[in-house]
Amino acid sequence: MGCCYSSESETAEQDGDERKPLIPHPNPDSKPPNGTERNPANISSTRTDEQALLSIINKTAQNIIDVSAADSQGMEQHEYMDKARQYSTKLAVLSSTLSQKKPPPLPSLTSQPHQVLASDLVPYSDIQQVCKVAAYAYSAISQIKVDAKEELVVQFAIP
Amino acid sequence: MEAALEQHLDDTMKNPGIVGVLCTDAQGHNLGCRGSLSDEHGGVVSVLAKQAASLTKDPTDTPTVCLESDSGNVLVRTHGTITVAVHKMVS
Repeated sequence: MGCCYSSESETAEQDGDERKPLIPHPNPDSKPPNGTERNPANISSTRTDEQALLSIINKTAQNIIDVSAADSQGMEQHEYMDKARQYSTKLAVLSSTLSQKKPPPLPSLTSQPHQVLASDLVPYSDIQQVCKVAAYAYSAISQIKVDAKEELVVQFAIP
Repeated sequence: MEAALEQHLDDTMKNPGIVGVLCTDAQGHNLGCRGSLSDEHGGVVSVLAKQAASLTKDPTDTPTVCLESDSGNVLVRTHGTITVAVHKMVS
């Protein structure tokens, strides 16, 4: 919980700390929600159905975070602040190391721009040529069409 | 189906001086490429053409973008829904 990124190089100790839930479970003993205390010794061994039901209830109770109870039994304010600071420092460290993937550059341009700027203009014939190439390519692409070879919907012969 | 386009790209590469050609759609998806231009360049080529087109007020006026360099020129041109880039060595 709360772990946005993990890396192999991190120590197990840090991992364990980060994976601790921020809000501890309000009912660690997982008492039945109806409030009646049940002594396991009193439950008859033949009442396996009830035991099965209880285990389902317990499992469900463990998976539920009781938000109303979190207010009273949750962390202290300074604990929240400590955790928040810890996570934000961790994120800041990671965001500086995670380099954004740069798009691949076009074929390299020039190291001497003045030479390129001083050179002749791009020949008009080249521009005409690329216009022609683009027009041909467009017409070639407009020829692409779906060639239906067989029926996509087949009628089953229902007697 | 796309044989006409592939053939056209091959024919374009036979022109003297041309070392790369790329065809992309408006979203930068590569439709076909040859030589020095690869499918990774589709995005930047389509965006260059789109940005250049946004500079002109006349929507029917399609600009041709020329990237001049030591190692030839890359010319980018949009036609309809597609954009073509041609890498040509300076003769």
